[in-house]
Amino acid sequence: MKKYRIMGLFSNFREAFRVVEDIKGGKVSGLKLDDVSTMSPIEHPEIDEVLGARPSPVPKFTLTGALFGMTFGFLFLASAQATFLVQPQGGKPVIPLPSNIVLTYEMLILFGVLFTLAGFLISARMLTKRPAIYSEKVGIDQIGIVLELDEKSYEPAKALFKSHGVLEIREEVVK
Amino acid sequence: MKDINEDIKWAQINADVLRSMETPRLGYWIAVATCVAMIACAVVAEIYQYKHGMGYGLLNWPHMWDIYIATFIFWIGMSHSGTLLSAILHIIHADWRKPIYRFAEAMTTFSLMTAGLFPIIHIGRLWNMYWVLPYVTDRGIWPNFRSPLVWDAFAISTYLTSSALFLYIGMIPDLAICRDNARGWRKKLYIALSLGWRGDDRQWRNFRRTYLLMACFLIPLAVSVHSIVSSDFAMSIMPGWHVTTFPPYFVAGALYSGCAAIITLFVLLRYFFRFEEYMTIAILEKTCKLTFAIAMAWTYLNLIEFASTWYGHDVASKEVLLQKFYGPYAPFFWMMMFCGSVVPFTLAIRKFRRHIPTMFVVSLLLNLGMWLERWMIVTPTLANAYHPIAWDTMWPGMVQWAIVFGSFGWFGLLFLVFVKIFPSVSMYEVKEMVYHRRGHAGKDTEEVLHRPVEGVRATTGRPGLEGA
Amino acid sequence: MSLQNILNNWDKYRKGHEAGGHHVYEHMWSMVIDLNKCIGCGACSVACYAENNLAVVGKDRFEKGQAMHWLRIERYWDEPNLKPTASDEFQQHGASFLPMMCQQCNAATCEPVCPVAATYHTPDGLNAQVYNRCIGSRYCSNNCPYRLRYFNFYSFYETSWPEPLNLQLNPDLSVRDKGVMEKCTFCVQRIRTAKDTARREGRKVRDGDVQTACQQSCPTTAIVFGDMLDPESRVTKLWKAHEVELGKTAQHKQHPEKRGYRIFEGLNTDPCVMYLERVREV
Repeated sequence: MKKYRIMGLFSNFREAFRVVEDIKGGKVSGLKLDDVSTMSPIEHPEIDEVLGARPSPVPKFTLTGALFGMTFGFLFLASAQATFLVQPQGGKPVIPLPSNIVLTYEMLILFGVLFTLAGFLISARMLTKRPAIYSEKVGIDQIGIVLELDEKSYEPAKALFKSHGVLEIREEVVK
Repeated sequence: MKDINEDIKWAQINADVLRSMETPRLGYWIAVATCVAMIACAVVAEIYQYKHGMGYGLLNWPHMWDIYIATFIFWIGMSHSGTLLSAILHIIHADWRKPIYRFAEAMTTFSLMTAGLFPIIHIGRLWNMYWVLPYVTDRGIWPNFRSPLVWDAFAISTYLTSSALFLYIGMIPDLAICRDNARGWRKKLYIALSLGWRGDDRQWRNFRRTYLLMACFLIPLAVSVHSIVSSDFAMSIMPGWHVTTFPPYFVAGALYSGCAAIITLFVLLRYFFRFEEYMTIAILEKTCKLTFAIAMAWTYLNLIEFASTWYGHDVASKEVLLQKFYGPYAPFFWMMMFCGSVVPFTLAIRKFRRHIPTMFVVSLLLNLGMWLERWMIVTPTLANAYHPIAWDTMWPGMVQWAIVFGSFGWFGLLFLVFVKIFPSVSMYEVKEMVYHRRGHAGKDTEEVLHRPVEGVRATTGRPGLEGA
Repeated sequence: MSLQNILNNWDKYRKGHEAGGHHVYEHMWSMVIDLNKCIGCGACSVACYAENNLAVVGKDRFEKGQAMHWLRIERYWDEPNLKPTASDEFQQHGASFLPMMCQQCNAATCEPVCPVAATYHTPDGLNAQVYNRCIGSRYCSNNCPYRLRYFNFYSFYETSWPEPLNLQLNPDLSVRDKGVMEKCTFCVQRIRTAKDTARREGRKVRDGDVQTACQQSCPTTAIVFGDMLDPESRVTKLWKAHEVELGKTAQHKQHPEKRGYRIFEGLNTDPCVMYLERVREV
């Protein structure tokens, strides 16, 4: 069976969300909520409401990065100081905690930020090839509802789009 | 009065912002040439200093530091309000930040890049600058992690990395818009920079989390950076430097000068790019009120520093304070007090606050005051420290002035390049702002937003960014 | 392994100056300067210029405050009853002199602020300056309450010793180029030589083996130099006699004969130079 990816572009956001709600309500047989994704010009908190909670693992990366930065930072500094005994004393100990706290703090933030960035790139699937199905209008003011479906639900899905006043439908054959 | 015209068409937002990035006109090139000329002054001075030694800036014993370090703090300070305010306002959901945060964050990054030059310029053997970095060598030599200067190196590189990433990540959706509307080399650039942004829900979801987490990191980071810069002084033993209140005082001063710089750039961008729709008087007013509040916090911290020095009655510190009041540097000190504590009262008056030319002049005066403040932190202490035989008055030489002057050109050049390559108003966030403000207003929301815009091609709304 | 190193030696590495510090000192070089004997002739300063290859900067640069005098004689016109009369422009007599050289503080404020560890505390109790490592951030000089660190603002060697004066340079130490900080070393090259000689002869360094240039040239023997860890040395005896101790921040003495003091002791820099106060006629 052929697999399709179709996108309906809407300028009326409320109607677009109704499409998703209809799919959620089982109006198109064979389409689940997991098959739906959206493309939007802005960050819509409403999308989460209609699509349901989908996970975002970025905070886990952040926590890992911060903990790594903290541990690595302190141990790095302390071991550098401990092997570098011909160093200025100024009456201070070889491993001075106050200054190491300052630097550990900076390392915590630096690695936290870098890991967050990595987490974003990985979990948002950035740097992947742009699929053929994309519209520049998403960058302006239209919202795209993207459905992954097979031949069986192809026509009903298009009909659903049309009933909600879709402006344009784009499609590609996945396989 | 509304912060922004809520009936603005979204295609119009794209069109206006993309228009600001079009091939520049003559005025722009004149500005670039001016900046390059200013940089040239600094480069000539620096080459001279590099070849012949630090003495030609009239640095001397005991004035080992002077306006290089003062300007360094000035630029670091200016870098603070962009990112810090953007992050704080983001976390507290103050959405009026949205039209103005982009250039403010760019200002952060560029003033950090300017500030970062000064420690390099001011050291005696700058070809050995990299010794400050902790790299592994077979000689087993490390930098001295006790030194506040090494903390500076850590803090500034962390801050530069983080704030540049914060700026960049916040810009990705806009870069995707640019990508969709560009041709030529610009297209290639934006394809690379937008990292394949499509605006799908997965991306937005992770984007939102990432942006919030970055904001959470940047607030304590920004505070720590200027505290660490203040440690250059507070950690020393010198009277007038060894002050417990320096970290908050520096942070307040940083926010202060940064806010003033935001107002300056706000006025310039509004005027030159005709951003009246986005950089509205209402937002200017909010920024001015914030600046006024920060100015008063700064004034308080300033006065409390004098009061505690006076009350503490430490002979040396008191002498430094008195020398600030009526010593050789007193005119500058009082000018700083005037610019920093008296001038901001114009921000409290509605009539002035709404008058753009006044605000432009005021913001420049505030920043003049803040530059003088940094100078008045560094120099009077060196002039009147513990040992009376080393008391000395020194006026910086031409070499120093030329380099300080050139740093403004460098900042200006970076900023000029930025506004032509990157969108200086956040398109997607202005849309969000408009959307949420209208959000529950009425059924016609969408219809109003999407009406076709005159003079913009209906298909893509692109004015077209030519990449020659 | 570094981690093991940290864990095993944690206590040792966490010891500050108050707890005895990390170093096991071999020597503790120190100085006593009797201001009563100082006549302000400046011979010590001249000797220092000759011994340590100090640059002669010339009048212009001196006026700009860019001189390199490691040892400076400070003049204070502080005799209250010898104020200049109306006819004098300046006070005619009654100056008191204070020779100032690096105080070799044990809790030196200059050391912890150097970003590249170019100045550090040696096991000799000296505050060493490593010219090769110095990048010239000048923070040490800013943080020295005595202002005893001098910076090479120019390549002074280019003009300081025109031929044939370059032949009088001391080969035992380097000539510094622009961009590095320098200061009194307690004639570390002489200390080095004395230690080497002693080791070759299989003995300890004796009191008097090391003479600093300033001490050697002082016509009134106002300067005494030696090792504080040697209980028999003259400096140790003098410090004891005047009840001045290392590690203290204040001296509480009533006896007028006990004139010893250290400059800015209250800042807890713990300097190794003791001055003997000048006795004034009252």
